[in-house]
Amino acid sequence: MKKILLVDDEESIQIVYREEFEDEGYQVISALDGQTGLAKFKEDEPDLVILDIQMPGMNGVEVLRQMKMIKASVPVILSSAYQEFKQDLGTWASDEYVVKSGNLDELKNTVRILLGKK
Amino acid sequence: MPELRKDPVLGRWIIISKERRKRPTDFLVEHIEGSGGFCPLCPGNESSTPPEVYAFRYKEGVSDGPDWQVRVVPNKYPALVIEGDLAKEGVGLYDQMNGIGAHEVIIESPNHEENFADFAPDKMALVFKAYQERIIDLSKDPRFKYVMIFKNHGRAAGASLEHSHSQLIALPILPRMIVSELAGAQSHYTYKERCIFCDIIRQEIQQDERIVCQNDRFITITPFAPRTPFEMWILPKRHSSAYFSQSEADILALAEIFSETLQRLSRCIANVPYNFVLHTEPLRSGGLKHYHWHFEIVPKLTSIAGFEWGSGFYINPMPPEEAAGYLRESYKN
Repeated sequence: MKKILLVDDEESIQIVYREEFEDEGYQVISALDGQTGLAKFKEDEPDLVILDIQMPGMNGVEVLRQMKMIKASVPVILSSAYQEFKQDLGTWASDEYVVKSGNLDELKNTVRILLGKK
Repeated sequence: MPELRKDPVLGRWIIISKERRKRPTDFLVEHIEGSGGFCPLCPGNESSTPPEVYAFRYKEGVSDGPDWQVRVVPNKYPALVIEGDLAKEGVGLYDQMNGIGAHEVIIESPNHEENFADFAPDKMALVFKAYQERIIDLSKDPRFKYVMIFKNHGRAAGASLEHSHSQLIALPILPRMIVSELAGAQSHYTYKERCIFCDIIRQEIQQDERIVCQNDRFITITPFAPRTPFEMWILPKRHSSAYFSQSEADILALAEIFSETLQRLSRCIANVPYNFVLHTEPLRSGGLKHYHWHFEIVPKLTSIAGFEWGSGFYINPMPPEEAAGYLRESYKN
């Protein structure tokens, strides 16, 4: 079973994403902030990461750049409610950038494609 | 008493606030360390960027391989997209069109730590050559009217990644600033049959109050009505409206004066964030008698607040004559 690490400070997002991705047949582990996300990335060795950008403490782009230093081959999807973070060239370290939406089809497709590539 | 000064090209008024006069050491510049970690612009990480559209390599190498000196790539997450038609339409009063454009990033060095101001002139010339090549290539696309090239240096000036880079945006419309500059320059030409920028250069050389440095081909001045302390313009002494048409010798001379100008600035104020923007003629203009390409360097030392937004007047606490004096002296210390 493929393992997805979800890093997002919104608990409601965590609940919805967990339910939807577990239904898709993935194991979901989660973290509510960047530091914890980074620790779980090292310990739990996920197959893919879904990472929020705007979080207290370490922001998602900083977390992303650290994750890619540790293991660049693990695909990371940046998932934010805002388009404007795309201006930050640090986001280029990600494999995809998906704007959050009530409909998770785009995110699910992106996960499928990236995990299929591995 | 404060002084109001009018920019002769744009007609823009500036308040030179002599009461709030400052010395270079009075400006607080916050040095923010880069966040570190994986850098998508470093050699070896080429797969993190879209395929290159231009690169300079000393030895022939593989496209998207790591042996480059300067590399230009499309923006991975662009605000404007390259594919499609403009589909211009009017909706009542309002005009709209598809967001077509090219958004590219010029990676100026393979070295992550190297600061643009510290580049040797021959290395800086490779970056200026890349700007030329990209303008020439993008001018073949009839959808684009203008190529804007700019650099944000430092977090406060909008740079999101510490690896030295500049950006290019090819637009289907002329930016308002360029429209205003062209109109101001045309108005002067209609009346006097001379390029206003050539007149500015002539007067600045004659007055010798705002010259920062010069060589045979270029001059750096602090403009008469600068928006911010230490704003500087770099202009070719010979009339030319098109940046892309410069010779290799011109580009090397530009790199020499640019390097010296930034060195002078950083000796006055260490780690100063700044933006620079290339101002050049619209694509396929064929050479304009009334316009003169140049670079504008704007240090980020003051903030734009309600008064500036509401009035359009900038308040500058540093008279440009004093700024030029500090910049000239900076090499002697």
